[in-house]
Amino acid sequence: MPPRIPTKSSASSASALWTRTIGANYRQPKPEGGPNYLQAFGAGPNKPFPLNPQFRSERVLDEQARELIWEKVMRRGETLKAVSAELGVDLTRVAAVVRLKEVEKDWISKGKKLATPYSKAVLGMLPTKSFRPGVQNQPLEPINELHIHTATQKQLFWPTAESRQFTREDAAKAFHAKMLSADKRVPHPELIQMEKDLLKGMSPDEARARFIKAAEQSERKAAEKQQRKAMAEEQATKKVNTPRFEFRFKEVDSELVGKDGRAPNVVGWKYGMPHYDRKKGLVKIPTSVP
Amino acid sequence: MPRAAQRRLHVLRRPKLRQSWSKYNLYNLWRQRDPKIGFTDHETFFQQKWRAKGLLRAYHGEHIKERDWERMFSRRLLSVANMNPQYMAQNDGSEMAAGRGSGRDIVSKWKDDRVDPKPITPYMNMAFAPMERRLDIAVFRAMFASSARQARHFVVHGKVKVNGKVMHFPAYKLNPGDMFQVDPDAVMFATGQPKKKGGSNARQAVTNPQANAEAEPAAEEAEGAEAEAEAAKAAEASEVPEQDPETTDKPEAPKADMKPTRQAIQKLTKQAKSILARDRDVSTSQKQNLRSFLKRAKPLLSKAGRPTATPTDILDELNSMVKELNLSDAPAEAAATEAPSTPEQAVAAAARQEPPRSIEDLNADELKALQRLIKEEEENPADPTKPYHTPWKPRDYMSPFAFIPRYLEVNQNVCSAVYLRHPVARVNSAEVPTPFGYQVNQLAFNWYLRRR
Repeated sequence: MPPRIPTKSSASSASALWTRTIGANYRQPKPEGGPNYLQAFGAGPNKPFPLNPQFRSERVLDEQARELIWEKVMRRGETLKAVSAELGVDLTRVAAVVRLKEVEKDWISKGKKLATPYSKAVLGMLPTKSFRPGVQNQPLEPINELHIHTATQKQLFWPTAESRQFTREDAAKAFHAKMLSADKRVPHPELIQMEKDLLKGMSPDEARARFIKAAEQSERKAAEKQQRKAMAEEQATKKVNTPRFEFRFKEVDSELVGKDGRAPNVVGWKYGMPHYDRKKGLVKIPTSVP
Repeated sequence: MPRAAQRRLHVLRRPKLRQSWSKYNLYNLWRQRDPKIGFTDHETFFQQKWRAKGLLRAYHGEHIKERDWERMFSRRLLSVANMNPQYMAQNDGSEMAAGRGSGRDIVSKWKDDRVDPKPITPYMNMAFAPMERRLDIAVFRAMFASSARQARHFVVHGKVKVNGKVMHFPAYKLNPGDMFQVDPDAVMFATGQPKKKGGSNARQAVTNPQANAEAEPAAEEAEGAEAEAEAAKAAEASEVPEQDPETTDKPEAPKADMKPTRQAIQKLTKQAKSILARDRDVSTSQKQNLRSFLKRAKPLLSKAGRPTATPTDILDELNSMVKELNLSDAPAEAAATEAPSTPEQAVAAAARQEPPRSIEDLNADELKALQRLIKEEEENPADPTKPYHTPWKPRDYMSPFAFIPRYLEVNQNVCSAVYLRHPVARVNSAEVPTPFGYQVNQLAFNWYLRRR
């Protein structure tokens, strides 16, 4: 077969023309820094997809902001909740920033090379957020977001007396007997208490001090709970060390098999339930990495 | 990826949007118009759903089998509501009992010229949210790979760790709180300029960007494939056992009397580097000289830090090295015409005009600039062993694709990220990065509900 002579289709020459003209603006990041998204058909700022105005490229924390968060948590010993409320950064994000920063410090102490040029280039292309220490900062994101529980997504017909004060507490009970009210399910219930204190006429300093104390207490409680759980796990496990393996034994009640004898987490073979563990050719992708 | 497959992926005639930073994908994204599905009655509902899911599946994990995605799909769409603490403190919820049971009515101003519709929570844009849990897609979203397929390649080849353990399943679904780390060399390779064949083509790239822009895509891809193979080799070679933190040998602090000598070496090294950085005016042989000078200056620098070193010895060695450098024939016209606006330029210009032989040639500003230049050079050195173009530069057409969704927290320095939570919808925004709007996503969501 003779070699095919490549010819340029009209589509590819149009693409080449675009690359030379409009596309040239997107070849390199903007010299002054900041995002460089497609400017097409009235798409607003920070919208990488011109046809999807409901997806925005949100700001990310810059190096200085990450360092400040790490400093507050690890050096000054402030609680995650207090840092989150002060800077307007989501609670899980504060924890993640500290965790990643710890990895970074570990690399530096070990003399491992950081991907600094990559980091500088990427942060130069993204909308970023920095904080000024010691002053009131604009928040990065909403911090007190409530997960919409499935049980609350149904419509209810719930007749009550007009004279009754039907609060969030009552609404939660109406949806499900065990459901907590929104005031308890939000990430920062302490902030609501602080606002209540302020409404009562407490001085801002005092309210803030109480908030910090409450945040400390709740974090301590959570840590203790975790510790208790780990201890219970430890006590329930019998460890036998051999040169090659550490065997861990746990007491299991084989009678606890659920209502129909086929509960998903029970031990052993269940009548009528396929047992895929030993089946050939099935890839078993782990569901979690501890 | 083979050339034919690459061409199929970014096809120009019937374009499909992909999870990729290719310039063809950017072009396709730019020229993509609203598909206007369901705007006319030419199509049945089935046809509308079919076309919508086709458009979206081409973007969301086209490398994933349809059956696998169908198993992954969930009709449960996650969302959050912002609870203002101040409002919650002021109201206990009973205010919502007013009106018809969902708070006092807000009367619309129908007399106004323009009445904006109430903002919705775009639940339907969350149709492909379960896809974002996949490890390969998350690696792409964290900007550690230039396409979802490349991210998958990294995972399969053991370049990605989850919570400190190598995870070689691209289909691993991240759990909230999982940290994933990608080998920095792989990341720099994926996001950096490709290495040119037969040494550095940096000069050509700087002087003639057009020539590069018009290069055939196939050539780039072929290079990409080769560089990929090189990256794999380099990564294997760089697998050195980690150093114990206790035994880390750090360079000792310099003695006070050695300071001027050390400064001189640093200064000269910096000059050399600054000249290398503005490589248009320097000939290749001069650049080679400079590189060898930099190489030799490094051990000298550590020697100067040692207590046994004498300033005269080191100065002699330094002087001989500077003489060998022979920079004087570099063109000085360019430097003469442009006024040095920054200290760096001044330093570079001075270096081009005459090689300084004494230590006290530079003022404090210039020294500072030199220090910064050396630091930059140390961070981003020219290293021919790397599978990407060095000094590292971001690849072309990267910036229009640069965004990091809120459900990830990324630390680029260590090429690691934490999957904070599953993506959610809020009032007026959804966190799943998807190229099409609400209606197309809604039709696709309805397709996967399997009531068709």
